[in-house]
Amino acid sequence: MGLEKISGVFERIIPLADVLVAIAVGFVASGALMEVGGYNALEAFRSLFEYSFLDTYYLSSTLSFAAPIMLTALTFAVGVRAGVFNIGAEGQLYLGALGAVLVAAFHLPGFLYFPLGLALGVGFAVASAAVAGILKAKRGVNEVVSTIMLNWIAFWIVEYMRTYQIADPHDPSKTIPVPPQARLPLLISGTELSAAIIIAIAFVIATYYILWHTVIGYEIRATGLNPDAARYAGIRVDRSILASFIVGGVAAGLAGFLEVTGRPPHYAITTGLSNLLGLGFDGITVSLMGLNHPLAIIPASIFVAALKVGARGMQIEAGVPLEMVKAVQGIIIISLAAPGLIRTIQARRRAKLVEEVKPVAG
Amino acid sequence: MELQECKPIVEMKNIVKVYLDGTVALRGVDFDVCPGEVHALLGENGAGKTTLMKILAGVLKPTSGEIVLEGKHVRFSSSADALSKGIGMVHQHPALVPVFTAYENIVLGAYRPGARAEIEKLMEETGLKVPLDAPVESLPLGIQQKVEILKMLYRRVKVLILDEPTTNLSPLETRELFRVLRSLRSRGAAIVFISHKLREVLEVADRITVLRKGVKVGTVSAEEATPTLLAKMMVGREVEMVVSKPRVALGEELLVVRDLWVRSDLGTWAVKGVSFSVRAGEIFGIAGVEGNGQKELVEAISGLRRAEKGKIVIGGIDVTNKHPLEVYAAGLAHIPEDRQRYGLVLEMTVAENAILGVQRSPRFQQPPIMKIKWSEVFSHAREIIKNFNVQVPGLTAKAKTLSGGNQQKLVVGRELTKKPRVLLAVNPTRGLDVAATEYIQNLLASLKEKGIAILLVSSNLDEVLQLSDRVAVIYEGEFMGVARPEELTEELLGLMMGGYSLDKAREVLSRKTT
Amino acid sequence: MPVEALSQLAEIARLTTFSMTPLLLAAIGEIITELAGVVNIGLEGIMLLAGFAAVAAAEAWGPLAGLLAGVLVGTLIGLLHGWISVYLKGDQIISGLGINIFALGFVAFGIEALWGVRGYYTPPPEAKVPRIPGLGVSPTFIAAIVIALVSYYVLYKTGIGLKIRAVGEKPDAAESVGVHVERVQLAATVAGAALSGLAGAFLSIDWLAAITKELPAGRGFIALAIVNFANWNPILALAGSGLFGFFWTLGEWVKNIGTIKAVIPIPLLNTIPYVATLVVTAGLIGKSRPPAHIGRPYRRE
Repeated sequence: MGLEKISGVFERIIPLADVLVAIAVGFVASGALMEVGGYNALEAFRSLFEYSFLDTYYLSSTLSFAAPIMLTALTFAVGVRAGVFNIGAEGQLYLGALGAVLVAAFHLPGFLYFPLGLALGVGFAVASAAVAGILKAKRGVNEVVSTIMLNWIAFWIVEYMRTYQIADPHDPSKTIPVPPQARLPLLISGTELSAAIIIAIAFVIATYYILWHTVIGYEIRATGLNPDAARYAGIRVDRSILASFIVGGVAAGLAGFLEVTGRPPHYAITTGLSNLLGLGFDGITVSLMGLNHPLAIIPASIFVAALKVGARGMQIEAGVPLEMVKAVQGIIIISLAAPGLIRTIQARRRAKLVEEVKPVAG
Repeated sequence: MELQECKPIVEMKNIVKVYLDGTVALRGVDFDVCPGEVHALLGENGAGKTTLMKILAGVLKPTSGEIVLEGKHVRFSSSADALSKGIGMVHQHPALVPVFTAYENIVLGAYRPGARAEIEKLMEETGLKVPLDAPVESLPLGIQQKVEILKMLYRRVKVLILDEPTTNLSPLETRELFRVLRSLRSRGAAIVFISHKLREVLEVADRITVLRKGVKVGTVSAEEATPTLLAKMMVGREVEMVVSKPRVALGEELLVVRDLWVRSDLGTWAVKGVSFSVRAGEIFGIAGVEGNGQKELVEAISGLRRAEKGKIVIGGIDVTNKHPLEVYAAGLAHIPEDRQRYGLVLEMTVAENAILGVQRSPRFQQPPIMKIKWSEVFSHAREIIKNFNVQVPGLTAKAKTLSGGNQQKLVVGRELTKKPRVLLAVNPTRGLDVAATEYIQNLLASLKEKGIAILLVSSNLDEVLQLSDRVAVIYEGEFMGVARPEELTEELLGLMMGGYSLDKAREVLSRKTT
Repeated sequence: MPVEALSQLAEIARLTTFSMTPLLLAAIGEIITELAGVVNIGLEGIMLLAGFAAVAAAEAWGPLAGLLAGVLVGTLIGLLHGWISVYLKGDQIISGLGINIFALGFVAFGIEALWGVRGYYTPPPEAKVPRIPGLGVSPTFIAAIVIALVSYYVLYKTGIGLKIRAVGEKPDAAESVGVHVERVQLAATVAGAALSGLAGAFLSIDWLAAITKELPAGRGFIALAIVNFANWNPILALAGSGLFGFFWTLGEWVKNIGTIKAVIPIPLLNTIPYVATLVVTAGLIGKSRPPAHIGRPYRRE
């Protein structure tokens, strides 16, 4: 048992090294881009760090950004576990947010806003996810294409609702806000950090539990790892895939719901969905950095959230446009796509050794 | 029996091949072929025939040994290299691009002006007629093979190797192929014909070399060869592993298959009206060269492939075309042919693999959220490991960290722990070391006492003969006959696997003795 | 009235030549890449990066330089994606995702770094590709049609095309007759990405004459859908791009019709191309047949 534990540790350390290498490549390459663009890269990275961790307010911002993106990361991760690339979290997140503000348009008993908004938002998101899931499982439609189309459809539907149906009469740049009764309490007053982070972490842990400690999760993972063996074991592969889309839809819908019910000062959706834009795609970075494991997604989401928050500092102090951090994310993902450069080299060396030793066996 | 009347165009000397996993495929084999002859390479599955020819065709590199082509030592870096030097191989699975037309396949990578006229002339001269503009996937395998041969001739090969070319051919197509081979021979081609079919070898070959377990048994001329002689050379056994075969009173028929018809992935008939039954306490063996319908038969029984016609009954329950879970529930356990592809999820842990297929059983999960009862899973896994002597680093080690033998024991243990009434075992000892093989074989024999009906499908003749109470030989989706292993001599088996029915084979042999 | 209707139809057709051009170029490029067995879902990102480079180059050296800059950027990204997919045997989907996300960040950064504006930049008129006089269509559209026809010829009627398709269908068979699998795959990936680069340049300095990080607006993914729709045939891709381009134009066109605008608001009309793509893809799938060895790195035994 002891030996196995050690080997298990090594098994986890090697991919961790991959992630660290990818992060390093991301920073070095983007640093080079900044220098070429005429900026001071070191100054930029220093302020990036300063404005994301070194102050209670910024740290709380970092944590509050971590909440939605750990959930959208979960959407991607559960998909990968079932063997599909579900990149529909972006649109599902918009729909989740829509549910939260939509209920505000109705006169209801105060205590109903939260549960109804949640049900509506998650319901919309799951409906969108289910379209992609059914098209994939029943018709074999490529989920990358379908989820991107659904993202755009969700974007324009929510834009339509924002401008035509639920615009704030006092401030047309945003929707009517979530009623106070449905807002999540702040954990530290004067900051952006609300109970959303607690709910998000709880949901991530619950999903981890579903994936690794229930039969449904077991079947989803078996489907993703070896569909042939899953089929031989009597697992209905199409149902497992659909289940992964549904779980992913719940996560992304929840992310959108939390983003408007737990984020001061607006508690609403702003013009062009600007306060939601990109939170779904950030999740892809988070998931890949967390090796698509729910528990590893939590620290990875804090890292990516820090990039987002620190980017403002980077802009203020070093004048670097804050979108630069997205480029960093892209480079990290590209580096992760070519997995284990180190491992490939090691494996090749090992194969060579075997070949050199072999003739003796003959 | 060595004979040497011709001048070889290519000679292989003392070829040894050891695979990366340590399997020794060839133990110092000599081989040659002359222009204007058909040299047959005969042997059972795993004898090393294909490996030897893949080395000649540059697909594999020999561990040691040398190749002399037209008097010069050569070393091929790839099959393309060998092809450019005049050695071409037509593989069992055609190396054609299915969506391409015949013409496109022939000129791929070697287009030259006037190609089409050249090919048409070739077709005229050799009698290899193919529809050049039809996609090859729409062509029967017999025609696809002709396309492959044309492809080689267009590239002006001097040595043409054919690996089991008649496996998927009808008798008519086979006759046609032989006509072509003879015509090529008369044009001076050196042809190697790999086969396990005695009749065909005798019909077409000038010389015959027999391989067994990576060793050359001998080379005989077609004139001196007889079916009996070849069958004996091919099957003749060395030391036998001793498996105690308990005699058990047979019980009721637990597995009944009636007039079963199943299609292959290509849509052709793979199983053609097979009927048999297996009784409690009996091992029913199906022997035969691989690719004769075994896979499709097994998948149909376990609910993984449609039975187009016929009936399958397990323990009195009709399971024809039922979902695998229903078939398993009726009492079937399945040791699949490829444990890594079908039997295990290699990236999951030993414990997780221990419940694959029974994950929904109430013992392992708790409503309402179907929480996995890990303590039960672990004790179940521990039970398998203990009862079946599986060596594992730990219950939470991934299945891929186990050796092949231990992976197989894990699968076997898991399936037997289901307490099946019928066990379907497909090549259960493939790729295992001696100890693990012996363990699994003894285990299967001991199951008879528990009243389990076992269907053993194996291309390993020794295994089938030693374990089975009755043996059927399958050839092109049909049973050539069913007999007790004691009745089956090596000669008889060799003939049946080569397409003779039991009665026909007996007749051939009795003719020889009288 | 019929005359007016005809002229309106002609106008829709003319507008469709614009909306279909980027779809066509990207789809043709992806067809070449996928036929060789490599998937590149980074088309969207390549368009965006190329569109950015095209504006910068066109501003300095004129529209032709802009188009070439787009192609060059596509080529470079193609080399990167090809290297990761073909030689490092990496994950093609993840690499493509990374390209898309990198482009979103880099272009937004670049617009501000280069021109000091946030989010949106319009190049001066002299940087724009001129229209063909009299027809009012872009020369890039004509070029795209020619590229589609030539691609069809090369892919389906020449020895080079045979090699490309053989590699994507059955790399071991191709290799057994001496085709260099990796080299062909890399070349096809680069060629495909270069065409996406041209598509991006067309968007930014030809048709829309602006650069924002929303420039491709999902067109890279619609091009992926067209590849399926067209069953990997450039001629059918021409038809597919026309169809999807028409939906795009239609969405824009109906916005100008007062009666429709009153019933269906503009944001909902904007969903037309995406809904159409989804519906058409869902209806057609199963009839198309992808290259057999697509998306997986080729490993020898």
